[in-house]
Order: sequence, then structure tokens, then C-alpha cells
Amino acid sequence: MSLFDPLVLLLIAAGLYMAWNIGANDLANAMGTSVGSGALSIKQVIIIAGVFEFAGAVLFGKRVTSTIAKGIVPIDSILDPHLVAVGMLAAILAAGFWITLATFYNLPVSTTHSIVGAVLGFGLMAAYNGIIGFGDIKWAVLGKIVGSWLVSPLLGALLAYLIFSIIRYFILQKADDPYNIEKKFVILQTLTACYIAFAHGSNDVANAVGPLYAGMNVLDMAGLSIPLWVMALGGIGMVIGLATWGYRVIETIGTRITELTPTRGFSAEFATASVVVLHSYSSLPISTTHTLVGSVIGVGLAGGLAAVDLSVIGKIVVSWIVTVPIAALTSAIIFAGLLGVGL
Amino acid sequence: MIKKEYIRSVLNIFATSPFKPLVLHANKGGDCVRKLNESLSAFCAGDMETVEALNREIDVIEHEADVIKQTIRSELSSSIMLPVHANDLLNFLKPQDSISDDSQEVAFWLTVRKFEGPDEVKEGFRELMDKTLATVEMYETLVSSLGELLETSFSKRDVEDTLELVVKVEEMEHQVDVIEKELVRLVFSNEDNIGPLGVYHLARLVRGIGDIADKAEHSADRLRTMVLRR
Repeated sequence: MSLFDPLVLLLIAAGLYMAWNIGANDLANAMGTSVGSGALSIKQVIIIAGVFEFAGAVLFGKRVTSTIAKGIVPIDSILDPHLVAVGMLAAILAAGFWITLATFYNLPVSTTHSIVGAVLGFGLMAAYNGIIGFGDIKWAVLGKIVGSWLVSPLLGALLAYLIFSIIRYFILQKADDPYNIEKKFVILQTLTACYIAFAHGSNDVANAVGPLYAGMNVLDMAGLSIPLWVMALGGIGMVIGLATWGYRVIETIGTRITELTPTRGFSAEFATASVVVLHSYSSLPISTTHTLVGSVIGVGLAGGLAAVDLSVIGKIVVSWIVTVPIAALTSAIIFAGLLGVGL
Repeated sequence: MIKKEYIRSVLNIFATSPFKPLVLHANKGGDCVRKLNESLSAFCAGDMETVEALNREIDVIEHEADVIKQTIRSELSSSIMLPVHANDLLNFLKPQDSISDDSQEVAFWLTVRKFEGPDEVKEGFRELMDKTLATVEMYETLVSSLGELLETSFSKRDVEDTLELVVKVEEMEHQVDVIEKELVRLVFSNEDNIGPLGVYHLARLVRGIGDIADKAEHSADRLRTMVLRR
């Protein structure tokens, strides 16, 4: 099977679109907090994000990519590799479609939840058609993933709460001039900006290249280890998304988040990045954006922010409940449709 | 912003801080009292034209203060998490708003009748107004110290500094009370010079000016509750 198989090319194209979208929105969100606190300029943020996002994707992104590719649907037990490639294409198209729609309406939808839902939809359709059994879908892994979506924002909140409380108790409250402390935290925040970009790359690259790797794996174009160029493709796609569109998102966020001073920004970013890296290590795909929201709330709970709007929590919960079924259904329909047209 | 942008963002988690407009609102109250101070000088000098002009200016500032107050209230929905209790914040916004309201009322009462009376009454008014203005300006300093409090997220030292300012406002308000009572006595003792209508007018003005300092003290007290009960 050649790399120029139309199916593989479509998987690459859809994966790149997904990567672009992730870079344009999710990465931009994660980086926007550094601009909002005045720690970095937009140009600096894009350079830092470019380098570290790419590094995170290439060096530490394989575990989660494996989970998306093989962790939910047992692609190895599907005898016809063509079916897997078509199914994965359906999944990434469905996720891309839902993310595009959500972005137009500014809904806090996660690319991770979309792709997981979409891959599940493909699995369910395969089971419905008797290609695999319903019991073959790895429900235990799926349960762990969904559980991690609940745990990660809470963990972010807890960690950010602790970090900011420590800064508050040992540094801010002992300082003669709190503004001077903020200046010193600008340097630390440059480091956390790198950290969060790395973390984001390591977890979210899977949303773009997981289906591509799955397709290539069954078509015997990639073995057990994921080819470097696949990870690099995801990394490049996300960096392009940030550079071509994400800077606008960063600008919007940066000019409107003025409450997040460097000490607060540092706490939220460090907590978010740590939680995300931990999940990348555990091969669990989570939403960086939702973890960041949790972390910001944690800083707020520690008394670090003048005003936090908790109504976002409700919107996020709704987006959770809605995203997985919608992405799954769309993916299943597209899968059936693609098979129907004889792809 | 209604404009549809191709953006998914975490922005919504950050609500508008009520603390900056709160300081702005306190300064509007201060502006009213500063204008009132000018107006009283013009009143004592018999320059009723200026008194009228200042009355209109104070009307405008008072309205601006109202708009800020309404904005703060409308943005404090139940889903907003603040480092203090939202109810405490609203409880202190209310008397703070009365500073400009009461100034507006005194400014109006200054326009209705010319000053007729001996110099010692004039001096009494001067003293009352000066002390009231000083109380309100101390109160403005107190409110702006909230910024520092938020920055260190309520460090013990900053809380103590703020509470000291509360005590200062209370002490100054007490001095206003003392001057107020003496001045009322003085006005009544000059009934022969001023006439019954004049006495009524001046006594009303004394009470009005005193009320302004009262409101500053009242807000300071509520602010203390807000800072301590958080």
C-alpha cells in the first residue's frame, strides 16, 4: 500500500485540518494566559509555542496517540484493514465537523472529547455491522478516559489552589511591594509557557494523528512504533494553526484577561501543564482547555482573582454530555456513508 | 460582543472585576463632595450663579455614579465568584452611593435661598465642610486600598492597614458630629439675625452636610465587615 493511497491522503488532510484547528484554538487558549498577564508578547508566545508544542508532540505524544488509534476500538481484530482506514477517516471527519461547528458558536467543546466520541462511533457502527462484537470495544479503557475528563479539571483546580496558596502565604503576603513580586514571576511564567506548550503538544497531537496512525498501522505502513513524520505532521499542523489563526485568539484573550497577573498565571499554567503531562504519561487523552478552566477556578478559590464566572462550568458539563454522542453518531453515519459509496 | 469570531476560548471564565468600578464609584462620590465644597464657598460669598452652575455639575456626576452602581450590580450574577461575599460588597455599595446622593441634595438646598447670617456662622460652615470633605477623601483612600488588598490577596499586613484607615474615617466622622452639633446651636442662637426661615434653611444644610460624613463612615464600616468576613 502506498503513501499516495487516496485513503491515506484523506487521513493526512483531515488530520492536518484537525491539527490546524487545535493549534488555532486550544493551543492559543493555553498560551493566551501568558500574554494576558503581560509576561510575553504575542510574537514571543508564538515562537515559544511553536518550538515546545512541536517538541511535546514528537517526543511525548506517542502514548496518547496509541490510545486514540488502538485503545478504544480493537483495530487489530478487524480483519479487513480497509474498513479500519475508512472508519478512522469517518471518525476524524466527524470530529472535525463538530469542532468547526462548535467553534463558530463559541462553545467550549473539546477536540479530545470529539475524537474519542467519533472513534467510539466508528467502533459501534463496526459492531452493529457484525465486524466486531460490542463486547470487543474496550469499555474499560473508555471508562478510564471519561473518568480522566472528570478528574483532570478537578486535579487542575486542586493543584492551582495549592500552588497559589503557597505563593500567597510565603511570598505575596510577606512582600513589601507585591508589584515587584509580579515582575519576578514574569520570568517564571516564561518557563511555564514553555511547559504548557510542551504538555499541550504531548496530549493533543493525538487528536489529529491518532486516526492517521491507526489507518497506516492496519495498512502495514506503520508498525508498533509510530513513524516520526506522523508526529511531526501533527506538530507542524498545530504550529501552523497557531501562527495563521491562533494569534488572533491570543490577542483577544490577552487584551481581555487583565486580572491574571504573573503569579496567578504561573499558578494556573503550572497546574494545567503538570496535570496534562501526567495524563500524557498515563496515555490518557484529556482536554487541556478544560483543565485550564479548572486551574483558573482553583486560583480563584484561593482568593487570587477579583471575579470568576462559574457559569462556565455548566456550559462545559453540557458540552461533555453532548459532544460524545453527537461525534459518535456523526462518525457512525459518515462511516456507513463512506462504505455505501464504495470507498 | 455579538460579532461571531471563529474562536473557542476560556475567556468566559474571567468575569469583570467589580473592584475597579467600585473605586471609580467612590471617586465620583468624592468629586461630588469637592464640587459641593466649592459650591458652599460660593454660597457663603453670595455668588448664587456659581452655586446654580455647581448644582448642575453635581447632578451630572451623581448620575454617572448611579450608572456605575447599576453596572456593578448587574454584573454580579449569582455565578460570579469573588474573594469576598457578594452580599457584603453590595451592602457597602449602597451607603457609598448615598455619598453622592446626599451631596446632590445639599447642592440643591444651597440654591434655594441666599445666605444671610453673621461671619461666625459662615466660619462654622467652612469648618464643617472642610472636615466632611477630609472624611470623604480619607474614605476614598480607604477604598483604593482595596486594590493593594487584592494584589496580595488579603495579606494580614494589608488587611491591618485597611482596617486602620476605617478607624481614621470613623474618628473624622466623629469630629464632624461634634462640629455639626455646635453649628446647629450657633445657628439657633443667631435666630434674631437670620430669621426663622433662615434658621430652618441653615439647620437643614448643616444636617445635610453632616449626613455625607455619616454615609462615608457607614460605608467604611460595611467595608470592614466585607474584608473581615470574607
